[in-house]
Amino acid sequence: MGAAAEAVSTRPRRRPLTWRRTRRGAVPYLLILPVIAVLAAILGYPLYQLVQLAFQRYQLPELIAHKGIYVGLANFSSVLHDGVFWHTLGRTVAFTTVNVGLTIVLGTLMALLLVRVSTWVRILITVGLVLVWSMPPVVSVQVWIWMTDVQNGVLNYVLTELHFGNYFQHNWFASPFSELAMVTSLVVWGGLPFVAITVYAALSQVPHELMEAARIDGARAWQIFKDVTLPVIQPVLLILTSLSILWDFGVFTQAYLLIGQAHILPSNYLMSVYLWEEAYYKNDYGLGAAISILMLAAVAILSFVYVRRMLKIGEVDR
Amino acid sequence: MSRRLPRKLGWNVVGIGVFVVMAFPVFWMISTAFKSNEQINSLTPTWFPLHPTLANFTGAIHKPYFADDLINTAIVVLAAVGIAMVLAFLAAVALAKYRFRGRKLFVVLIIGVQMIPGIGLIIPLYVMLADVPVLGINLVGKLTGLIVVYVSSVLAFSVWTLRGFLLGIPKELEEAAMVDGSTRFGAFVRILLPLVAPGLVATSVFAFITCWNEYIFANLLLQQQGHQTITVWLAEYTGGETYTDWGGLMAASTLIAVPVVIFFLLVQRKIAFGLTTGAVKG
Amino acid sequence: MRYRVIAAAIAALALGVVVATTASASTKSHTLVVWLQVDAKTGWPKVVANATAAFKKANPGWNVNVQYQTWGTHLQNFDAAIAGNNVPDVIEMGNTEMTKYMAAGAFANLTSYKGKFANSSHWLTGLTNSSTYNGKLEGVPYYAGSRLVTYRTDLFSQAGVTKPPTSLAALETDLGKVGSKVTGVPGFTPFYMAGTDWYSALSFVFDYGGSIATFSKGKWVGQLASTKSVAGLTAYKQFFLGYSPHSAATLDEANPAPYTVYGANPGRAAAIFGPGWYSCCTGNYKNVTGQFLMPSHVPGQHMTSWLGGSDLGVPKQGHQQAQARSWISFFTNSANEKALQKVGNVPNATNLFDNSLNDQAAKKSWFVPTAKHWVDVESGNVIRHMLANILTGTPVKQAAQQADASMNNLLNQP
Repeated sequence: MGAAAEAVSTRPRRRPLTWRRTRRGAVPYLLILPVIAVLAAILGYPLYQLVQLAFQRYQLPELIAHKGIYVGLANFSSVLHDGVFWHTLGRTVAFTTVNVGLTIVLGTLMALLLVRVSTWVRILITVGLVLVWSMPPVVSVQVWIWMTDVQNGVLNYVLTELHFGNYFQHNWFASPFSELAMVTSLVVWGGLPFVAITVYAALSQVPHELMEAARIDGARAWQIFKDVTLPVIQPVLLILTSLSILWDFGVFTQAYLLIGQAHILPSNYLMSVYLWEEAYYKNDYGLGAAISILMLAAVAILSFVYVRRMLKIGEVDR
Repeated sequence: MSRRLPRKLGWNVVGIGVFVVMAFPVFWMISTAFKSNEQINSLTPTWFPLHPTLANFTGAIHKPYFADDLINTAIVVLAAVGIAMVLAFLAAVALAKYRFRGRKLFVVLIIGVQMIPGIGLIIPLYVMLADVPVLGINLVGKLTGLIVVYVSSVLAFSVWTLRGFLLGIPKELEEAAMVDGSTRFGAFVRILLPLVAPGLVATSVFAFITCWNEYIFANLLLQQQGHQTITVWLAEYTGGETYTDWGGLMAASTLIAVPVVIFFLLVQRKIAFGLTTGAVKG
Repeated sequence: MRYRVIAAAIAALALGVVVATTASASTKSHTLVVWLQVDAKTGWPKVVANATAAFKKANPGWNVNVQYQTWGTHLQNFDAAIAGNNVPDVIEMGNTEMTKYMAAGAFANLTSYKGKFANSSHWLTGLTNSSTYNGKLEGVPYYAGSRLVTYRTDLFSQAGVTKPPTSLAALETDLGKVGSKVTGVPGFTPFYMAGTDWYSALSFVFDYGGSIATFSKGKWVGQLASTKSVAGLTAYKQFFLGYSPHSAATLDEANPAPYTVYGANPGRAAAIFGPGWYSCCTGNYKNVTGQFLMPSHVPGQHMTSWLGGSDLGVPKQGHQQAQARSWISFFTNSANEKALQKVGNVPNATNLFDNSLNDQAAKKSWFVPTAKHWVDVESGNVIRHMLANILTGTPVKQAAQQADASMNNLLNQP
């Protein structure tokens, strides 16, 4: 795999440092310019406002008067001294770990399965995955609520009929743990299609011949996966993992709607829900801004290891 | 050959099992859409409605602004995804294939943007869109305003995902193109684009679905009846004080999912296995 | 090559869309923007249409743009609109949501215009109180809703109960008879209440003379742990555990829905405590549907009912307040209020009452403390949490004390 590359790198420089080289040096900057411009234009000002808000008392009266009151670090201090913040943070970290783990592992297994099945089954599964993927969260939440309904839910019915126990009129949302377990099932279910399909697309880049050669040589499936498949899909897996961490840490719609506004309590808060309750339901935008910034810091720390590894892989040796 | 057959059969059985488990909620949604109210509320669930009714579907289609909002959503999503994919691909090529000063900074920016909790930005974004600095226009209530928000929300992750796909492409293929004497960027477009097509499609499908299903910003920015997106239209089923019309909600949800499925089926041929075989051999 | 073309096409399409949608700016002729909840769209669209037509006739050259909101997000949208100087001219607010916004100065002062609104001298006290702050009227009562019992007359009569009970004890006896007559339906209970349905549950507290919170010496003090309130909560606990499904102990009232009573034959319950419009969704059982007011523990009386409802406010930042008031006066005129009454609501004025059960319940009603931060207590689910605890084993007094502590915290914020 490296012979051709080595030949290229030891080749003497054929072109002197002309203006053409310099112009070519500008290419990457031109390529990233549109993205930077768009992000700066759209997010720059709101972010600046957000940071400003975090240092102000900006509740409903201030919102109406369009003028906040500078309070320095009071918002941050209030959040950091609040036990609810720390409990929520811990709970969200645990929640994220479980969700990301399940999503990545099950998604990769599904992608590997997709490679091995007959075409018609692959199409069947893919259609199923796309149907799952295309369900808006607001809808899948309703379906979940419907399926887990205490009185008429099909889940209770099936479990009881299959003799898994007596689930007659079982309330699947009786405790914070079960509430979050239900949210996990929904989030993982909804996240699997993207991971499965993306990894499947990445698997298409695995050199077919190498896999065949290894199999003919008698290598076991796990060895083939480790030595041939994994290196190729590793960048994609790392990306999916880091993305999943970001998304699952900040998950809002599923948690808020599935648990339901009437049952949201500090004991089942996730970070985004906590932010929503404090900022929007209690109209405290200064506090909400402080929480947003702390959330950003928390997720940055949480994903730091993965991001660093991704950056290392991306190093291009030229 | 004969040894392969039973193995494939085993995988097929597992595959069908996976399909059943994953797709059950979807099946439940669709089957509920065809049920009458009595069947929906009965003590024992009806698995396959033997006397399916189309009443829920006709009700959904006739609910005001269904077609308008569907078209609005299509416009917003296609525009946002189109713009985002073009911009993201360019940047991803730069990140994956070039070495330049400030590259790490750009990566930090891309990752950092995705760490911002979106719901924290609701009010600042709204205020900015209501009176855009420099341009002085009001984008609230216009589809463009929502397109702008959606582009910014899928751009970073698209760059990041596409970079990953580009990195996975074996180096020989690029080297082969460079030897041809073409410019570096030209080689990338001619050679890389077909190779990264599966990744491009996967990313665009995800961006499409993310935008299609988004609710919070659509609900915030588009208030006018008939000028909203389909998720806002759908939310009216559960937004009032009266009880939920489950049959209608499920029928409407089924209808909304159809365009997404069609979009995917149109592009799914691009996510094919073994595209690289010919290139490497040659 | 192909891909380049596709990419270019998409970009061109996008550009075209951007140009088209930005260029087609709405003509800023006189338009009144009204935010109503989606209930109006599904429940009484004709009322809205009548009001708009009458308004346009009286204000030529004006259009009305009604934008429907949902309860879950309308306050966040309102906040954003306030921040962006984009407020609607009229907005519907839940009656428990008004105080906080009035205290913050969100609404225009309507006191001097009160006489211009139909039946204003007979407005329901509960709604008027929710629209008044510091003596100033800042909202117009829109409509109200009370709570009563909807039941299956056939199931009751098969148990020998032909007349609605007149006391709580009698109700319990009747429910016992009904329950014993229904067999073969797993999980059937004579009554259905969602455990954390505080709108219904707190009627017990008020029935025993208790209250939620009182204002004394400049501070709000939670009263749920007072002797009388505890008596009421204990009565509620007994009633619930005796006649409602225990699996509903932590559920909220969005869950039951009338189908619990009417979904099948005989359904999961024979009676349900909820809004008056529950009698609408009875399907095939219209002929065997009846309603009665929840009886008090004092024989011959009925329990104080929760009075829910909405008010209409004119945001202070709006520039078209005269037209806003005009639209509201058309929307809440007698004819329209009567139309609202027909679909199961309580009209905003007592002189429009027609002696229906709904209206009777509204005459004796309780309301939440008119505290600036009451809405925080609601969104923090303090009372719901207390009810769930009580029904799942926590001693009544302890749960009530916890709720009082939370309320003292929240209500006394600056």
